[in-house]
Amino acid sequence: MTIRRYLFSIPIFLVIYTLQEAFISQLRLPLGGFSILLIFTLIWATLSTPEVGALTGFGAGILMDLSQSSPGPMGHWTLVLILAGYGVAFLGYGDDNIRTNPINIVLITTAGLVASQLVFLLIGLLLGQALGSISHVLFLLAGSAFWTAIVSPLVLKIVSFTHANVFGTRSLI
Amino acid sequence: MRYGGDNRGRLLIIVLIVTSLFLITLDLRGVSVIDGLRNGTQTALTPFQKAGSWALTPFRNFASDVTHLGRTRNQIEKLKSENEKLRNTLQSRKTADAQLKQLKSVLNLAGSGGYKVVNAKVISQGPNTSFTQTITIDAGTTSGIRNNMTVISGYGLVGVVKVAYSTSALVQLASDPAFRIGARIAKSQQIGILSGQGSRRGVLELLDNTTTVKVGDALLARGSDNGRPFVPGVPIGEVTSVDNSPGAVTQTAEVKFYANFSTLGVVAVVVTNPEADPRDSLVPAKPRPTPLPTVTIYASPSPSSSPTTEP
Repeated sequence: MTIRRYLFSIPIFLVIYTLQEAFISQLRLPLGGFSILLIFTLIWATLSTPEVGALTGFGAGILMDLSQSSPGPMGHWTLVLILAGYGVAFLGYGDDNIRTNPINIVLITTAGLVASQLVFLLIGLLLGQALGSISHVLFLLAGSAFWTAIVSPLVLKIVSFTHANVFGTRSLI
Repeated sequence: MRYGGDNRGRLLIIVLIVTSLFLITLDLRGVSVIDGLRNGTQTALTPFQKAGSWALTPFRNFASDVTHLGRTRNQIEKLKSENEKLRNTLQSRKTADAQLKQLKSVLNLAGSGGYKVVNAKVISQGPNTSFTQTITIDAGTTSGIRNNMTVISGYGLVGVVKVAYSTSALVQLASDPAFRIGARIAKSQQIGILSGQGSRRGVLELLDNTTTVKVGDALLARGSDNGRPFVPGVPIGEVTSVDNSPGAVTQTAEVKFYANFSTLGVVAVVVTNPEADPRDSLVPAKPRPTPLPTVTIYASPSPSSSPTTEP
């Protein structure tokens, strides 16, 4: 049942992925901009069970890896987002104080996104990728956190509503 | 109640992680199916990216403008006056004319260097989420573009074609942290390796520690065998500071790229190696200070003049 409902979310993520690749990437925002797919995935995972969170991370990671601008091998983002999806879902699961509070969700999403990028960097280092200067990496991480904190509250309601419809639950936000 | 997990859940996580590790292994071993998947995705996305580029053109440079607010007053004044002029001249067909200007300068550079080029529009800029610096252009293998070809703008080197798809190509910018190019200093012909740092500034490592490099020295591409990935003579940037630490093994210098990667609209891919190395002929001319006209006024008393008193 959960898997069938999970499959319903695939077209939604495909639309978000296309939106990211065709529009958001071209905005040339300062501080490195943001990834709507990453934000959407982490909010979605926060609202889900850990298993669905990991599955969501897996699907979104595959899409991130398919992006032509992804520097790492196929599976790099997949591995990171499985862990991130499971992690953020685990943090919020079973505790309605977290899952019904938008501020907590935004905080978890922002921290989760920065942590994901750090893990991505670490795995990239292990795989021999060049990262550039430390100051540049820190600048991009700070930029990611800033944009995520700005964008996640704006999309939170939409994600919550879509999530509730896909999984047949009542939106708590 | 906190989540404790069950065997089925744990099994799922393990399966997913093993799958991702399996994918990483397959990709690192060069299995063509993975490349095919990425190529297919890019081919499917190209029309959407073109549509997005068209739709976002009026808003695209807004964010870039916002980031440059911290400039000095003089620069802002100068930009304001330039902006005023541009606003008047480019009121209509602003975007088209701007692209035409870029196209003209890139063709000038290509013509001076004897490069045969294919022009292309920038249709997408890769996100920085993955810590890379890339752009996507709207020309691919059907236009004669192949992997490892040099990409230039009107100011100089932009990057190198990383992956060429049928109707688009992914370009690794010179500012990408993984980017490396053999460079030589114009006139002195000293050689070194320039690497991207994620911003508009790169770091040059000279191969010979006894040579000297000065602020203001221009850097050019040394060129590769058969012009791939780099054709010779392409201007890269200018030395902005030199690190002369006495104990350093190699001398390093900070270089500012001539190309502004945040405002790229039209670029050109060099598809044929020039017949002759253009040497230093493409080094941009330094701006000459305009001499201020001096006016000297000599005043001498008139012989007929005499002091008068009012009645």
